[in-house]
Amino acid sequence: MINITAYKCKKCGRIHYPRHERCLSCKHREFEEIKPEGNAKLLTFTQIFNLPWGFDERFLIIGVAQFENGVKAMGQIKAEDAADLHTGMPLTASWEPVRYVQGEPVYGLKFAPM
Amino acid sequence: MRDVAVIGVGMIPFGRRDQDTLMDMLAYASMKALDDAGLGDKGVDALYVGNMGAGILQHQSSIASALVDRLSLLPAAAEAIENGPASGGSAVKNGVLAVASGYYDVVLVAGGEKMREVTGWRATDFVATMTHPEVEYPYGITLPGMAGMFTRLYMEKYGLTREMLVEVAIKNQKMGALNPYAHVEMMITKEGIYESPHSVVNNPPAADPLHLYDACPVSDGAAALVLCPLEMAAKLTKNVPVLVAGFGQATDTHTLQERDDPTDLKAVTLAAQQAFERAKLKPEDIHVAELHDAFTVLEIAESEHVGFFKKGEGGKAVLAGKTRLGGKLPINVSGGLKARGHPVGATGVAQVVDIVWQLRHELPEDRQVKNAQNGLTVNFGGFGNNVVCFILRRVEQ
Ligand SMILES: [Zn+2]
Repeated sequence: MINITAYKCKKCGRIHYPRHERCLSCKHREFEEIKPEGNAKLLTFTQIFNLPWGFDERFLIIGVAQFENGVKAMGQIKAEDAADLHTGMPLTASWEPVRYVQGEPVYGLKFAPM
Repeated sequence: MRDVAVIGVGMIPFGRRDQDTLMDMLAYASMKALDDAGLGDKGVDALYVGNMGAGILQHQSSIASALVDRLSLLPAAAEAIENGPASGGSAVKNGVLAVASGYYDVVLVAGGEKMREVTGWRATDFVATMTHPEVEYPYGITLPGMAGMFTRLYMEKYGLTREMLVEVAIKNQKMGALNPYAHVEMMITKEGIYESPHSVVNNPPAADPLHLYDACPVSDGAAALVLCPLEMAAKLTKNVPVLVAGFGQATDTHTLQERDDPTDLKAVTLAAQQAFERAKLKPEDIHVAELHDAFTVLEIAESEHVGFFKKGEGGKAVLAGKTRLGGKLPINVSGGLKARGHPVGATGVAQVVDIVWQLRHELPEDRQVKNAQNGLTVNFGGFGNNVVCFILRRVEQ
């Protein structure tokens, strides 16, 4: 279960993630809480080799993807090399540990090529 | 509103300054600016300090109170301004507003950062704290990573090439090698970082599609300047006054993912438009610019978004030599963030200092843009979510 809540403006339909107090398009204040649905499409990505404090990996591949119902989110991508990926490709999404803080897992989005 | 002039500037060499504390650096740059203005023992009315990370990196707060005391400028008003990598630009802006409003006459602005005190691992994490704490930061995204994602889209949409990025790096490191204040003084060649078989060893991928030499170094450094009403400049200083002809500041979504078109740096466009409107100038009136090239791609993208070139033409302009010293519009003659370095809180102040030197015509021939009258700076905070732009003009006496 992907533990993300996105916010769909009840007036204009714009989908927000993360949350805002007012719609970025029309300033409306009421939102329908929605979950990401379906598979995702890769919008952009990078492979980073200089990782921040808190990561032991040799590299991370991180991207932004859009789910079938319009929710856009960042996540880690399960791949060995950025060269194996391209924008627009379909991805599956899962909810898994994305980092560990003092030994405790922090859960987040992971995408994998289909 | 009063016209505001820069009457004194100072900088200390950027780089790795293990011997200095953050406060040392801010104090040295400040004294240089006060002395450059020729204020002698006169006080100032207020001090603004641009800094992003003293709380995180030095475990120190209230740095403006510490600096005003260190400089013996008591009882001047003093505060620190934090706006990520645009902290310096924001500090200058607040100084300009204070003088323009008529509330204060003489204002000192200093910007500084000490980033080499911690490991590269920690410094990368420190800079990443400006990303969204719930939907970006936990994934391990870094600012080079944000720039990598942006670059991929810019390449796909506008035909930006790696060769264009490489030319920015070479141009700026060549200029940095001539700048005594620059962190990086090493010349690089196209062969060494791009064309030869061993270039991938010299210049490995850092945040695909960006490589090591596409990014600025992690630096210590500080810069400072003195502002006063233009009408008082002649009384206070012998320097050629440089007018703050206009500034602009604009914001954009915190996350890249919520921008309708992530290649569109709206805050850069808007900040520049405001500055040009206020200055009553157009992009073609600018003779020299300092753009926020924390990554080579940003120099090209900003040169398009402020209106120097059409979208997709900035990279071609670099290849054609238009942005070199001697070209139609020299960009980052100082070496830019790429070579001068990027002590985050110092950068926005340092950019203005470099333009002031250009407009006063005080630089050696190999770094001076001949007869420059108008200059522009872009200080880019977050990943383009908070941008400050200045236009400066030489005032002939
Ligand atoms: Zn709406």
